Amino acid sequence: MSKDGGTEEAKGGLLDETVQYHVQLKKGDISDFVILPGDPGRVEFIAEHFDKAELVAENREYKTMTGEYKGRPVTVTSTGIGCPSAAIALEELANVGASTFVRCGTSGGMQEYTRVGEKVIATGAVRYEGTSIQYMPIEFPAVASHDMVLALKNSAIKNNLDHHLGIVQSKDSFYGQHNPEKMPIADELRQKWDAWVKGGVLCSEMEAATIFVVGSYRKVRTGAVLLVAGDQARGESLTKEEYKENMSESVKMILDSSLEIEVQI
Amino acid sequence: MFDKLEQVKHLPISFGDIARYVIVPGDPNRVPIISELLDDVQHQGQNREFNAARGKYKGVDVSVVSTGIGCPSTAIAVEELSHIGAEVFIRIGTSGSVDGSAQKGDIFIATAAVRDDGTSKQYIPIEFPALADIEVVDSLIKASEALNVPTKVGVCQSKDSFFGEVEPERMPVSEYLDMKWKAWQRGGVGASEMEAATLFTLSSIFGLHSGGIFAVETHDKETIHKITKIVLESIYYMEKGVNNV
Repeated sequence: MSKDGGTEEAKGGLLDETVQYHVQLKKGDISDFVILPGDPGRVEFIAEHFDKAELVAENREYKTMTGEYKGRPVTVTSTGIGCPSAAIALEELANVGASTFVRCGTSGGMQEYTRVGEKVIATGAVRYEGTSIQYMPIEFPAVASHDMVLALKNSAIKNNLDHHLGIVQSKDSFYGQHNPEKMPIADELRQKWDAWVKGGVLCSEMEAATIFVVGSYRKVRTGAVLLVAGDQARGESLTKEEYKENMSESVKMILDSSLEIEVQI
Repeated sequence: MFDKLEQVKHLPISFGDIARYVIVPGDPNRVPIISELLDDVQHQGQNREFNAARGKYKGVDVSVVSTGIGCPSTAIAVEELSHIGAEVFIRIGTSGSVDGSAQKGDIFIATAAVRDDGTSKQYIPIEFPALADIEVVDSLIKASEALNVPTKVGVCQSKDSFFGEVEPERMPVSEYLDMKWKAWQRGGVGASEMEAATLFTLSSIFGLHSGGIFAVETHDKETIHKITKIVLESIYYMEKGVNNV
């Protein structure tokens, strides 16, 4: 097997240590600091905020670009929607040298005071998803890394961005949240949702819990910035232009926070 | 409506008797040991496992109230203390080590807790994370650095059965206990104790602030004083607003 991953078997082998099976990346393709959007279509948009960037791999929902921001190496890889594909991304990226992961995503606001356009820096996540329990029993907390939360918070203050700090909810069923009444388990969905709202959960999304739990197990640094893009209770959402502008602010917050994280490779 | 006093039926203290900052050890006998580092200490009395004292540190009003062992009595303490005005809770405790990252003699600052307890589930479903308050954690880390005391920072496990941890083999559910324990070891849990999960969960859902700092497999007075110093200094930081969070 060639070291550069050039042979067919090096590209395809499930247990191949050179080229990772799903993300199609090998050591040297990425930086230690990886931004994780869900949408592969957002990768290029995020990379536009780098000082330089190039496409290094694209396979399934995983698209990766690596470059630099103010002299710091940075990478962006999409995870696809949901915790199952996010876990694969984190595991394979960690295998080839990533040690810090910051999710850059969208979410629905859950509190009176979480308004569209605001950014939520997650301190932890509700594990209402199936992937992380195949790693760790449900009692284990999905918690972001303390130093990453602080770095993001500092960056938000420096960039003068409206933000919240707190717990987010990760779910597996998008439509279970949006149309719970249609689901056979409508009562459970509503009951839990009410508990999260009363418990002060800020917004709902679909990947953070697994990123935090698998990150704890892999002993890597994790964080997440969730743009509140919709507000079910008020029926509000961002226009295309507002979305772009606000997502740009999220990206800026994450990139500036990367400057506080010591380069590992 | 409940009688206002009806809601503090377990504590030896009432309205006006509590500081905003409360140090919460498990052991009632540890209250006087912790209070030795306060000025103008007033011992306020004991009811059941709840022993209360109040004093000052660098001019900041601080209370010390024991919770007793376990999450059920801790929940009562947090509910009643917050009802009479407490807002910031810092647990000082002892713990066992789990994955080896923290060992006998170490001091451990918890960022979050495994909810292996029964009490917190009667507040919010198990998927909800038991997180320490970010500002409390940051203050504890900064205070320990300023005092030159090395610490370990990480996730702790809160259990209900003490003997289920130390003698799992004699429990009918020994296999279940072993399986879970292995997961905590592999997943990066540093310390094991019995109150943090409920303290963190309740604080988080009620808009209070809490944290925890533990002596790993040690209970000597010197270590407790060292930890108390860190906690008092962290309270001073929070009161003076010198943190960046």
